[in-house]
Amino acid sequence: MLSPVKIWRNQKKVRALLGIEGKVISFTKIHVPPAGFIDQAPYVVALVKLKNGKGVVAQLVDYEDKHLNIGQKVKTVLRRTRDAGEEGVIPYGIKFKPVS
Amino acid sequence: MKVFILGGATTKFGELWNLSPRDLVKEAVSEALSDAGLTVKDIGAIFVGNMLSSSLGGQDHLGAFFAEELGTNAAAVKIEGACASGGLAVHHGILAVLSGIYENVLVVGVEKMTDHKPEEVAKMLMGAGSDPERESGATFPGLYALIARAHMKRYGTTEEQMAYVAVKNHFHASLNSHAQFVSPINLEKVMKSPVVATPLKLLDCSPITDGAAALIISNKRPKSGKKGKKHTQVSIVASAVATDTLGLAERSDLTTLSSAVAAAKKAYDMAKVKPSDIDVAEVHDCFTIAEIIAMEDLGFFPRGSAAKAIWEGKTRFGSGRPVVNTSGGLKASGHPVGATGVKQVVEIYQQLKGVAGKKQVAGAKIGLTHNIGGSGATAVIHILKSFK
Amino acid sequence: MQNVNILGYGVYVPRNRIAVSEIAKTWGKNPLDVEKSLGITEKSVASFDEDAVTLSYEAASFALKRANLEASEIEVCLVGSESHPYAVNPTSTIVSEFLGVGRKYLAADLEFACKAATAGIIAIAGLLLSGKISYGLVIGSDTAQSKPHDVLEYTAASASAAFILGKQEDGVAEILDFASYSSDTPDFWRRDGVRFPSHGGRFTGEPAYFTHVEGAAKLLLRKIKMKPQDFDYCVFHMPNGKFPKIVAKRLGFSAQQLAPSLIIESIGNPYSASSLSGLAAVLDIAKPNQSIFMVSYGSGAGSDAFFIKTGKTIGKKRALAPLFSEIIAEKHYLSYVEYLKQGKKI
Repeated sequence: MLSPVKIWRNQKKVRALLGIEGKVISFTKIHVPPAGFIDQAPYVVALVKLKNGKGVVAQLVDYEDKHLNIGQKVKTVLRRTRDAGEEGVIPYGIKFKPVS
Repeated sequence: MKVFILGGATTKFGELWNLSPRDLVKEAVSEALSDAGLTVKDIGAIFVGNMLSSSLGGQDHLGAFFAEELGTNAAAVKIEGACASGGLAVHHGILAVLSGIYENVLVVGVEKMTDHKPEEVAKMLMGAGSDPERESGATFPGLYALIARAHMKRYGTTEEQMAYVAVKNHFHASLNSHAQFVSPINLEKVMKSPVVATPLKLLDCSPITDGAAALIISNKRPKSGKKGKKHTQVSIVASAVATDTLGLAERSDLTTLSSAVAAAKKAYDMAKVKPSDIDVAEVHDCFTIAEIIAMEDLGFFPRGSAAKAIWEGKTRFGSGRPVVNTSGGLKASGHPVGATGVKQVVEIYQQLKGVAGKKQVAGAKIGLTHNIGGSGATAVIHILKSFK
Repeated sequence: MQNVNILGYGVYVPRNRIAVSEIAKTWGKNPLDVEKSLGITEKSVASFDEDAVTLSYEAASFALKRANLEASEIEVCLVGSESHPYAVNPTSTIVSEFLGVGRKYLAADLEFACKAATAGIIAIAGLLLSGKISYGLVIGSDTAQSKPHDVLEYTAASASAAFILGKQEDGVAEILDFASYSSDTPDFWRRDGVRFPSHGGRFTGEPAYFTHVEGAAKLLLRKIKMKPQDFDYCVFHMPNGKFPKIVAKRLGFSAQQLAPSLIIESIGNPYSASSLSGLAAVLDIAKPNQSIFMVSYGSGAGSDAFFIKTGKTIGKKRALAPLFSEIIAEKHYLSYVEYLKQGKKI
């Protein structure tokens, strides 16, 4: 089970990254996932440079194949991230969504 | 700086179901001690390089664990720096002998990875990265895939060029009786292997491996050989470490590992050698792209040109110089994470001593090892020289 | 009644859709028969990483933009859902934390099948009218689940709708009056710990939906002494494409009054967000000073009826965030297998 305290301490970091636009610096589609992400595969992980200058690694969601390009514009959205299991506190975090 | 290598050995690398971490270390250490003509009583301190004993095996306190296994009460400690644990253990062994407090030091790198399912191992290996990277579901192939794509975009590096690194290293491994993979492979096999994280395929990635490597170093010049003859000795003339950001998000350039560039510069300065002086090198090819970038970070080839140089055989046994990864590298010899950094030094030691067997690079006098932790957060560079 | 104004509203619909025909094919049913009997062609499907919290966050963000308010000014947050991520641990505080509401607020989660959020509107109206607060946020949000092969599989959908209510008079619209009609009618229910809801089949019709919607509607019309013809628009809870049309006709509303609210036809039934999304769709196109009659329905059962009048600045305000029609324009169709994959929450 994920630590509820760590999830709680992380909320501020997540809030500070919500609703910001950025550009894809690199991306990969992961076909062989680690434990905890097995039933999500395949999924895209992207490194994005946000407008505020910060670099962030997170999943890219709600994409079409045409969005898988270096330079694609994205914005950060709130989504469930790690597997909380049956009983654990649910972690929410940042993912990217393409914007036209 | 001059630290003498008295002996070195590795176990076979591979899926060693019957061998426990104790078995692996006992085997490597007894062979290294034999190579050095010493017993464990001669060892003043033990540095153990290992990453996953705690997260996979529930075992901390590895220094005392292996000291007991080896039958000694000497000083002992675990050194951890993800996949650079082995190189860091060598570095700390060197600091120990240079301090003068210990005369002979044993460095042993060990990793046992096949006791757990690959997806569990993949998850624990991500302990080498940042928390946001873990939260995104990234794996190490995924992180190096991000790096590969950036390198491909910037320099036009191709998937075929990356695949050729695997072909070369499997060829080298076919000459290495201790390598995990014994058969050469061709380009088509690599290109057709299953996709792991685009653009990296299965055969672009180093495997999951068990193994151990041991090195005995000293601040005292080794005795002459039997019959008083002087034979080739090997010393470590540079040991440098640098760090960079834990995660890729905080890097300014994905196409280079600046920790490797920084550590290499320190090492070249320490050893007073240039990249062109290096005859043979063991570099950290956790993924094929990593070797290409290593060639550029170490100054062997200009930025953006290493992929082509490797393709043309410029680092291949028999035709190239420096000859890179005669052991087969991480890709083909296997990557028992904590052992790799030590094994690299053992390989170069054996090359410079002239005992590298079928993969012996003729006339090798100066060698280099390049050991990376995570996606470049730690880099450890050693330079070795032979002398008589 | 004065000073219960809708200062901002927002709606969010997940990008995924599954066609009714795709579900029907899987179960060997004639797609045209199903589409005809339910009056629906496709429904929205939440991604595996979306839930009532993430959908609420999106809708509320849009509502804040339209209201031109900082989240820290919100003093009450009520979230109504049938798919709260936790049985114990409020959605409303999680959403408020990410919005940046701060600490000085009241939060509570509501449940009343598909009408939990409209109960929230009435509760916040009470706090505004008593002068206890200046700004309140109410959200209806659901990622509705349904048993495979059950008839609900065709309609149970995902969306969220958020409304910010306050005392200011230059809002998007004003809530002028309301009336509620409730009873203990077990037409549709879900026991604690059970994943999918159950229902009483045709029992969900006359004794449930129609009795309560008509009951609340007549109560309100009598209270405000108005007739259906006096309104420009009407909105009714949409469990399928047929019921709202039938109840509108019975009460004396025209098809034209009803048409702009029929979000069921594009996204299906997002439970607690159903009537509120219908209201949002109407606010997207209404002119200033127009009147809206809205009746929600929640199984179990009850209805809340509202008399709403649009404000002078509605045109300017609605342009500050995406319209319902703009949000649903981005869509991606799933196969039945992909639909099952997305439905398994991480």
